[in-house]
Amino acid sequence: MEMSAALAEDRRTDAAPGEATPVLALENVSRAFGPVQVLFDLDFDLRAGEVHALIGENGAGKSTTMKILAGYLAASEGRILLDGRPVTFASGEAAEDSGVVMIHQEFNLAPQLTVEQNIFLGRELKRGWRLDHKRMRATTLELLAALETHIDPRATVADISVPEKQMVEIAKALSRDARVLIMDEPTASLTSREAEILFRQVERLRAKGTAILFTSHKLDEVKRIADQVTVLRDGKRVLTAPAEELTENAMAEAMVGRELSDLFPPKTPADDGDTVLRVSDLTVGDDVRGVSFDLRRGEILGFAGLVGSGRTEVMEGLIGARQASGRIEVNGAPVQIRSVEDARAAGIAYLTEDRKERGLLLNQSMRQNLTLLALPKFTNVLIDGRAEEAALDRSIEEFDIRAPTRNMLVGNLSGGNQQKLLLAKIMLADPQIVIIDEPTRGIDIGTKQQIYHFIHRLADAGKSVIVISSEMTEVIGIADRVVVMRQGRVAGELSGADVNEDKIVRLAMGLDRGDRDNG
Amino acid sequence: MQFRHFIGATAVALALPVAAAAQTVIGVSIPAATHGWAGGMNFHTREAIERLEATYSDLDFVLATASDPGKQVNDIEDMVATRNIDALVVLPFESEPLTGPVKRVKESGAWVTVIDRGLSEDGIEDLYVAGDNPGFGRVAGEYFVEQMPDGGNIVVLRGIPTTIDNERVEAFQAAIEGSGIEILDMEHGNWNRDDAFTVMQDFLSKYPDIDAVWASDDDMAVGVLAAIDQADRSDEMWVLGGAGMKEMIKRLVDGDTDMVPANVTYPPSMAATAIELTALNYVSNAPVSGDFIIGSVLITPENAEKYYYPDSPF
Amino acid sequence: MANVTANTARRGGLRVDIRVLGPIVALIALVIVGALMNANFLSYGNVTNVLARSAFIGIIAVGMTFVITAGGLDLSVGSMAAFIAGVMILVMNALIPTFGISWAVILLGMATSLIVGMAAGLFNGLLITKARIEAFIVTLGSMGIFRSLVTWLADGGTISLDFEMRELYRPVYYDGILGVAWPIIVFAVVAILGEIAMRHTSFGRHCAAIGSNEQVARFSAVHVDRVRAATYVLLGILVGLATIMYVPRLGSASSSTGVLWELEAIAAVIIGGTVLKGGFGRVWGTVVGVLILSLIGNILNLTDLVSPYLNGAIQGVIIILAVVLQRQKKADR
Repeated sequence: MEMSAALAEDRRTDAAPGEATPVLALENVSRAFGPVQVLFDLDFDLRAGEVHALIGENGAGKSTTMKILAGYLAASEGRILLDGRPVTFASGEAAEDSGVVMIHQEFNLAPQLTVEQNIFLGRELKRGWRLDHKRMRATTLELLAALETHIDPRATVADISVPEKQMVEIAKALSRDARVLIMDEPTASLTSREAEILFRQVERLRAKGTAILFTSHKLDEVKRIADQVTVLRDGKRVLTAPAEELTENAMAEAMVGRELSDLFPPKTPADDGDTVLRVSDLTVGDDVRGVSFDLRRGEILGFAGLVGSGRTEVMEGLIGARQASGRIEVNGAPVQIRSVEDARAAGIAYLTEDRKERGLLLNQSMRQNLTLLALPKFTNVLIDGRAEEAALDRSIEEFDIRAPTRNMLVGNLSGGNQQKLLLAKIMLADPQIVIIDEPTRGIDIGTKQQIYHFIHRLADAGKSVIVISSEMTEVIGIADRVVVMRQGRVAGELSGADVNEDKIVRLAMGLDRGDRDNG
Repeated sequence: MQFRHFIGATAVALALPVAAAAQTVIGVSIPAATHGWAGGMNFHTREAIERLEATYSDLDFVLATASDPGKQVNDIEDMVATRNIDALVVLPFESEPLTGPVKRVKESGAWVTVIDRGLSEDGIEDLYVAGDNPGFGRVAGEYFVEQMPDGGNIVVLRGIPTTIDNERVEAFQAAIEGSGIEILDMEHGNWNRDDAFTVMQDFLSKYPDIDAVWASDDDMAVGVLAAIDQADRSDEMWVLGGAGMKEMIKRLVDGDTDMVPANVTYPPSMAATAIELTALNYVSNAPVSGDFIIGSVLITPENAEKYYYPDSPF
Repeated sequence: MANVTANTARRGGLRVDIRVLGPIVALIALVIVGALMNANFLSYGNVTNVLARSAFIGIIAVGMTFVITAGGLDLSVGSMAAFIAGVMILVMNALIPTFGISWAVILLGMATSLIVGMAAGLFNGLLITKARIEAFIVTLGSMGIFRSLVTWLADGGTISLDFEMRELYRPVYYDGILGVAWPIIVFAVVAILGEIAMRHTSFGRHCAAIGSNEQVARFSAVHVDRVRAATYVLLGILVGLATIMYVPRLGSASSSTGVLWELEAIAAVIIGGTVLKGGFGRVWGTVVGVLILSLIGNILNLTDLVSPYLNGAIQGVIIILAVVLQRQKKADR
């Protein structure tokens, strides 16, 4: 690691401005979608052997920039230069042929094919006219070993987890011998351990002279891995500087365009409210065994644990989206929850971690998404369209949803605005208990702050909130009390001063035996 | 060759009149009952088989109905492979695809009877039983000439585009040539009531002056009659169908000839005729090989009783 | 991605969206062509004929719009119509000795038709939702089952309604109010109710949600199986309703009744702008699609432009064109 850092240092001096031609560059590039301009007159350089981080709030134009670089979108104005010569990529494929490979945030994998078939999709190795299965298998194993994962090359992509899919995408890009590797939020779905493996690969590629561009909302990662940082705001470049010259705070402020007050609002612990939810001995399939916990009025309860420790499964079992057994009491009375509708009737709403597959209808409008869960409230034989529009107005106002037009398809909203819309949708059902799974995954820092403040307002208004998060700072920053899960069971509960990184990690890793009476 | 085989089979049958081992197996392969005429043909086939099996204990029949030519080829191959048939009676779905498979059956030494649709190669079958398609068109055409001595305007509904349909229509056109009868329009009604209804509705919109309709099939005649009735133009024209559907024959028997004064036969019972002739080959020494063409006959109220089968579905 | 955005932006503005107007433009073009080709095209008689004959496919296609919007498909509707017609006629014939030639028989026949339709739809719906078999396979199977059953009921021939009964029942197809035939009235009512159900009820909203993403719908408290099964039941009932209009026309049913209706209904739905893989449905579009299909046949019959052998080809070209017009935008970058 130190070696490669040193190497990078060398390259940085090599690549001082004016000395080496950038591998890939944008010159005065603008892009508009219909009447909406999203990029303004952008200049941007990518150099060999350099890791460049592109950061900015959701909707700042990061994805558009990347897609233009990788040939998925055409620039409305301006030029793209490859090795100093202007090029026009007709498609993402054409860009790949020139050695420019992009890994999309929403994966480009064929779910019904195996890992191996996906890695070689469109570039299958052949012996004569027949597929060379042996060589493809060997290469796949080699690539996956380099990424330190234990994914079976024969596994179907639909059956592997999200971080594993990310690894497959990376393996696929590596197999393409990319000169330029573009990654759109590669670590959004990875644990910090997995992210670390990815960074080692990035360093390896950097040492080989690959130019790497990535986006991330995790500024510590940017600081850790990037050589250069470019900050975009509202489709314009705000600054480009070596990473070492920027503090995380400086980056965040450049992104937001104002000084950031505290990310997390001050905690106002609930003063021993009534217990609104008591879950006893909940078992969900093979994933969760005998989980029990309480939730009090006005409380924010954190759920921490490693990815795969069963946190999401507990909540999905609780709301009736998975087969579950156990005893659930709401306000002291036992309830039977067999479907999401039962959960809604019991005043429980769940905001999924998978907003694209479980949360929102991407090809429908904001209005249809907003009212889907609470539709009975708007229906008296017919749906009251005017009431829906009014609700959308209120939600746009209350949750600060920013969309160029009201009728926009939800799939075209930025991740942060999607998340706000999803929150608005859940809240429209007027739940007493709100469960939020990964509230800020893939979301910029400004929106994060808004969401944290919103969660606090909920608790202050007497609602009870459960927050599941893989981001340690988030759980610590927001929760009054934390339940830590490990291997499908509750490993322990922490509250007050015990809610700190050290204690959570020790419980999550199984180093401490939890003291269940702690709270 | 053919003759010797025939003698041999008869000799065996005569030598061992009651022996179970001497069972003669006759395979029958016909199209499924997908429209009225085929339904009638299926009915007559099953009836003939029941009758023959009851009468002759040493005859055994295997019946298969197919909904497309491919299925029919499979049926025939299965019959040869699993039932070891001595004779095959086949109404080919289409001539071309069935020629090869039937020829192979012939080459295996079995007797072959072909019904209605000839194979594309001559000399394969021992016995050919068929309706007379050109005759069907000619008889209809002659009837039109007779009924319309001063000429007039007619419209024609055709069947599914096939050789059968072409032969009928060509013979019809030849028969009315020079008579002063003008065909205003021809359109495919696909031997289907609903299609014929729609086509006739549009004919009625298009032509203010129609004297008669050659519906060329009784199913289509049903649709045509409904359309004329709807347009309230029954006084203006009459309709000739064809193939002898029982409801239509019933009208003639009852003397209801205002709209449909006659009919032309294309008997679905031809399949029964073919099976009986084939059976005859095994139970008697009557010579049965050759071509049997069952002529198309004009049915009028006078002779209608003879062609009325109340039990048949067609 | 980009094109969708552009599209949406356009929809927000005042500029014309070809996806919305495509089918209507095609329909208007056909009407103009027809009027130029034949003077009788716009006559009362011809317009009534075209609309009335569109009614069967149209009523079925409205139901099909819901099935397809919810991400399903039903290939069995044509066979189902034939089967329902067969059962209905047999029941009516059997009731004549008891009730005589009376409207009671007709009403009982209509009830039979709706009940058999509902049962047939429920059969499809339950196999698809409870047994979790692909809709394509279930309805392909039931298509064969219904078709065979009607052939068997008819003994290979035709099931005919008693002649006197037919005379009594006949006005249900041929008569109407104020010169508008009953099938046209029923079709219009079904289409209007369908449009309202699709756009303004939670049922329609839920269909679109399920077709768009089943998981999201499930997590949004939508009873996915119940709604999905309901689309097939609704379609079955509408097939029954179409059959009620169909039987008085010719008073008979046979194995050739309703052949290929399923494909015509599906084609009409897609021409109308409903997305074949689900998530977006448009009932008024389906109505336009049905009219386009009927008009093509009508115009080809009224004119002598092309050989009748090519009718199918003309229909095919127009179907593909109508869909290409709608999808064109997606090809832009």
